[in-house]
Amino acid sequence: MPNAKYACGSAAHAVSRRGFLAAAGATAALGPAGFAAPGSTAELARNQKRVLVIFLAGGVSQLETWDPKPGTDTGGPFRAIPTSVTGTHICELLPHTAARMHKLAVVRSLNSTTPDHAQGEKIMLTGRRPEAGIEYPHIGAVAAKMLGGEQAEMPGHIHILPGGGGGGRADAAFLGPQFASVPVPDGRPPTNLLRPAGLTADADAAREALRQSLTDRFSRSRRSAASEAYAASFAQAERVFHRADVFDVERESLKTAERYGRHDFGRHLLLARRLLEAGVSYVKVSHSNYDTHHENFDFHIEQLGEFDRPFSALLDDLSDRGMLESTLVVVMSEMGRTPRINDRFGRDHWSNGWSVVMGGAGIKGGAVVGRTNANGSTIADREVGPWHLFHTYLRAVGLDPERNFHPNQRPVPVADPRASAISEILA
Amino acid sequence: MPARSGPVAALLILAYASSAVADEPLHARIDRLIAAGHPNHSKLAAPAADDGEFLRRVTLDLSGTIPSTAEATAFFADTAPDKRVKLIDRLLAAPSYARRMAQAFDVILMERRKDTRVTRAAWETYLRDTFAANRPYDAFARELLSADGSDAKLRPAAKFFLDRDLEPNLITRDLGRVFLGRNMGCAQCHDHPTVNDYKQADYYGIQAFINRTFLFPNAQAPTAVIAEKADGEVNFTSVFDKAKKTSGTGPRMPGLKPLDEPKAEKGKEYAVAPAKDVRPVPAYSRRERLAAAVTSPDNPAFARTAVNRLWALLLGRGIIDPVDQDHADNPPSHPELLDTLARDFVAHNYDVKRLVREIVLSRTYQRSSEVPATLTDVPADRYLVGPLKPLAAEQLAYALSEATGNTSADAKAAPLVATFRGMYGGVAGEPDDGTTQTLSQTLFLKNGPVVRGLTQPKAGNLADRLGKLPPDRIADELFLSVLTRRPTADEKTDVTAALTRTPAAERPVFCGELVWALVTSAEFRFNH
Repeated sequence: MPNAKYACGSAAHAVSRRGFLAAAGATAALGPAGFAAPGSTAELARNQKRVLVIFLAGGVSQLETWDPKPGTDTGGPFRAIPTSVTGTHICELLPHTAARMHKLAVVRSLNSTTPDHAQGEKIMLTGRRPEAGIEYPHIGAVAAKMLGGEQAEMPGHIHILPGGGGGGRADAAFLGPQFASVPVPDGRPPTNLLRPAGLTADADAAREALRQSLTDRFSRSRRSAASEAYAASFAQAERVFHRADVFDVERESLKTAERYGRHDFGRHLLLARRLLEAGVSYVKVSHSNYDTHHENFDFHIEQLGEFDRPFSALLDDLSDRGMLESTLVVVMSEMGRTPRINDRFGRDHWSNGWSVVMGGAGIKGGAVVGRTNANGSTIADREVGPWHLFHTYLRAVGLDPERNFHPNQRPVPVADPRASAISEILA
Repeated sequence: MPARSGPVAALLILAYASSAVADEPLHARIDRLIAAGHPNHSKLAAPAADDGEFLRRVTLDLSGTIPSTAEATAFFADTAPDKRVKLIDRLLAAPSYARRMAQAFDVILMERRKDTRVTRAAWETYLRDTFAANRPYDAFARELLSADGSDAKLRPAAKFFLDRDLEPNLITRDLGRVFLGRNMGCAQCHDHPTVNDYKQADYYGIQAFINRTFLFPNAQAPTAVIAEKADGEVNFTSVFDKAKKTSGTGPRMPGLKPLDEPKAEKGKEYAVAPAKDVRPVPAYSRRERLAAAVTSPDNPAFARTAVNRLWALLLGRGIIDPVDQDHADNPPSHPELLDTLARDFVAHNYDVKRLVREIVLSRTYQRSSEVPATLTDVPADRYLVGPLKPLAAEQLAYALSEATGNTSADAKAAPLVATFRGMYGGVAGEPDDGTTQTLSQTLFLKNGPVVRGLTQPKAGNLADRLGKLPPDRIADELFLSVLTRRPTADEKTDVTAALTRTPAAERPVFCGELVWALVTSAEFRFNH
């Protein structure tokens, strides 16, 4: 706790008592100009690595997506179609994605060990087997910390999800709440981002100036890491508020909106693209619901019909903007679905042999890793776990999974030290 | 007889000195030992906190909220030289002391875990009763560690085990952390890689007390109780050991000898034999010996950890810090002080209230948190200035109610406390440190309806009262209500100027914004 003058250099601190006195309707004191604008999109695209996880919640069927088994007892009614990668076929429910497979790599031999929604999601996002006594941070918190850092302009870990709720400090575990997910329910701006009714811009500026001058006065003689984090958090909230337009997909052209599709998931993916462009390190978009114990095939027609076009539009947009080279895109679930078709035409929970797809950043487009047997009932080659995937994600965005975090002065490896990256799909 | 007078005189002086030390009150010993921890302590340390700073600090620490304006006005006007001592005793005697300690120990013991088998209401009542009666801490701990959940009256005490699902590794880790000051989680699979003192055998020595227990009738039942088998040993292998040598241990506390255990006679292992739908009772219970083993005077870690945690609660950091890292490579900042506090605690029958009282009476606790201009290096573990402690979720909720002039009666405060626990309560199972602020928390303060509802004028609340005052009296009332101090001349000018600029019709609402600015300032967010 050095007794230096408060000098974090943030423009926000420049507004002191003088600023407050001058705040006679002076939104200018806190206006957008007061906050450093982030680098241009092009610059971000070149320099900053980002991660997008599209989470097909409920457990997508590998047989109706990336590992079709037509003509077998488990195959179901759909055909496999050729893709832009010679020799690689995927399910006919994904025609637009099929045309872009050269940008994606498929892992077809994932054993995620736990056919359970909550545990499966945790394992897939932390890359760790559950252990009593320690909670591991999700990939989103890890990416926010290691790619964005403490001083990031925008929050580094955003979760777009249908409906309300979501978000939790739990997903950052020991990395601390500043790397926890900020929920963006139903693609609306973060809860409480906008001014409440009855609070005018002038009154807001005046009250903020008083809050700041009080805090500055306090901080001149009393400081700690916690009090600095508290002071800085208001500056961050202000920055995000001034970029509230980033959360507004209505600013996209009608044509773009049409390409992503006029439905929630399309809107959410479009928002994800806007956030990644604005410099957010990690965005997770959840698409519900693939838990098809009944009528697996009808539901997959519907769900994947919604997934295929916006996902392809997103890949195109990232490519066109030169962002795909620096953005890792992962399509995952908490588990796959049983090859066996049950008596309600459903498929049940399955963790022993399913698929995950990724692309962009350091991923080798067109690669296929691992194999299941003829009817998908078992892994035939190159079994991998979520821990191998976790290493791979980090390597793909240039991070070292063998580094340690140090919660409570104790070294904790960033990724499971018993595993390593799937080198075949790293470019 | 000059030859003899020297030693006699020396003996007399020694006797006098040691009786002086014996009579020296604990709070004075604290100050002496803290001062001894820095070559220039008395010269460099900050002066005593002023009345406003002290009143706010001690009220937050002992009552979990901030003082009312009436309390503040009376305290400032009081000229009695012992008014701080009287204040401390009044706060310790009030029911709010039990509430505050219940909140603090809920977090220490349960770390914001979800309430599963013991309801929050029952648990809070149990904790409040414990601290209202000032039950000795060792007796309290024995109750927590021996309750099996079958006696309805004592079921809340079993929460430590029941709401951890009796998960053996979790219980082992948290017994070590909460009661023994040792986080030996890493020693589950091997000797601790970086802490030489934490051995795998110590970890499993603790686990051996509970390795025979299970939830009866089953782990899913919300009414499940703790049951025990008569057999079962712990065995462990280090994952680093290529030879895969398996070791075993009987129940023992870290660093101490294993317990002597009776050999069960064949056929007489059970008092109540296991059968379908019958809860077995072993003739010899390992679990029943846990409470005595933890709290035994032969296990110095217990009192040492208790006083260190209470010290950390009041001074913002442990003498051993973090509080669950007691080992040779992380020595106490003031070893003699820690020993003194632990010995005193045991000698006074584990009297929590006495220890709290002595700590808050000390000059160390009462120091101003303002860093003197002459001080350039302020190591946090030397206690040269008062610490900044982020308010816990419960303190924040109560303090905000009090500051904004809304009711802070317990029944009315409950939903607000629940909201703040949800927003600020930390991660379940992780220590609550409040050192960082999420965007969601800041937006909740800035624009959320809960804080707005408290700050905007409503019949009888602070903003409403301010709106009815002449403008030149608003700043005084505002600062006293929220920050327990009078405004500086500059602050007064600022507030008056801002009010003057606001059109008359908007002033009532703007009074609410003034309240908002103070409750969201860093000065309010921290106990300073």
